[in-house]
Amino acid sequence: MQTRTKFGAMAALLIAAAMFAEPARAQVRNSGASPIALNAVLSDSITLRLSGNAVNFTLVGGSPTNHGSTGITATTTWILRPSVNSLKLYAFFSSSTAALSDGAGHNIPSTDFHISANGGAFTPLTNTVAFGGANAGLQVSSVPIRGNNKTGTNSNVMAFNINLAPLPNLPAGVYTGTLTIQAQAF
Amino acid sequence: MKNARISWAAMVGLAIMLSTSIASAQLNSGAQSIALNATLTESLTLNLSANTVNFTLSAGSPTNAGSAGITATTTWTLAAGRTAVGVYAYFGSATAALTDGTNNIPSSAFYIADNATPSAPLINTVAFGAGSAGLQLANVPITAGNRSGSRTDAMTFNINLSTGSLPLLPASTYTGVLNIQAQATT
Repeated sequence: MQTRTKFGAMAALLIAAAMFAEPARAQVRNSGASPIALNAVLSDSITLRLSGNAVNFTLVGGSPTNHGSTGITATTTWILRPSVNSLKLYAFFSSSTAALSDGAGHNIPSTDFHISANGGAFTPLTNTVAFGGANAGLQVSSVPIRGNNKTGTNSNVMAFNINLAPLPNLPAGVYTGTLTIQAQAF
Repeated sequence: MKNARISWAAMVGLAIMLSTSIASAQLNSGAQSIALNATLTESLTLNLSANTVNFTLSAGSPTNAGSAGITATTTWTLAAGRTAVGVYAYFGSATAALTDGTNNIPSSAFYIADNATPSAPLINTVAFGAGSAGLQLANVPITAGNRSGSRTDAMTFNINLSTGSLPLLPASTYTGVLNIQAQATT
């Protein structure tokens, strides 16, 4: 009888404990926060593409007008940092004295090689620019970079001319050279 | 001591920031090249101010001037290595410079005065035409200073009917073709 009474009391205690324990299990339990570092890089870039890579000239001795066989369009595409203020496009030779040469000591200097950008006046490559030889370059264009064009594109249509008026005694021959186009943001 | 370490670390950090800033101060596109190929073709042209000369002949007379003078304009653009330009007058035959089909006036009786110099008969073998039927009008040395150039030869003409059997030349119409031609030599 006494044993039964004890057993009943313990059972009652267990039931009561279970009843009190249920509400405690229903509360939110959080783990510790585990951070994931996110690192998204939008690299700055300038891409320059040319519509062609060769221009031929049929020269007339002493003539100021010897147009290239074709124009070439330079398309510049950029993604720039906020600190950049300007994007410039340059055309240049590595040498001002021998922009084109027949390889036998007869040269056409850069001062007699002219570029017309976007229908503008023909201008000789006589400046020292960011690239190329001294006095062998020309700034083709300059684009101010502001808040609304950190990403953008620009096209410059270039036409070419060789002025042989200052070179009346240039011997007949085949003159070759490499004109380089390059953009710079700063 | 601790403050010094902090200052040193700050300076290093600042230097790194500055170098990073300078490194990112400008951004270049790739260099795009345009191959230039300019051909100055060698040329030598000769133009005449007119193509016909008439003679009213007097039998046995040494002086039978042509009705008009003719100017030959020679223009050239030459390759390096050319040393001279010659201008020549010549007939296809020395014995029959002019003919009526039966009777002939030889080239030795045909005279040219070039640029008011004394007239000379066409009796030399030159670069063109028949043997002993030509006359060199000009010889222009070519140097680095005149690889492109021009010259004019103002020619007047005379037929001398006073020599050999020509005083007995029968009345008739005598026709012939005088050629003028230039040659550049190496």
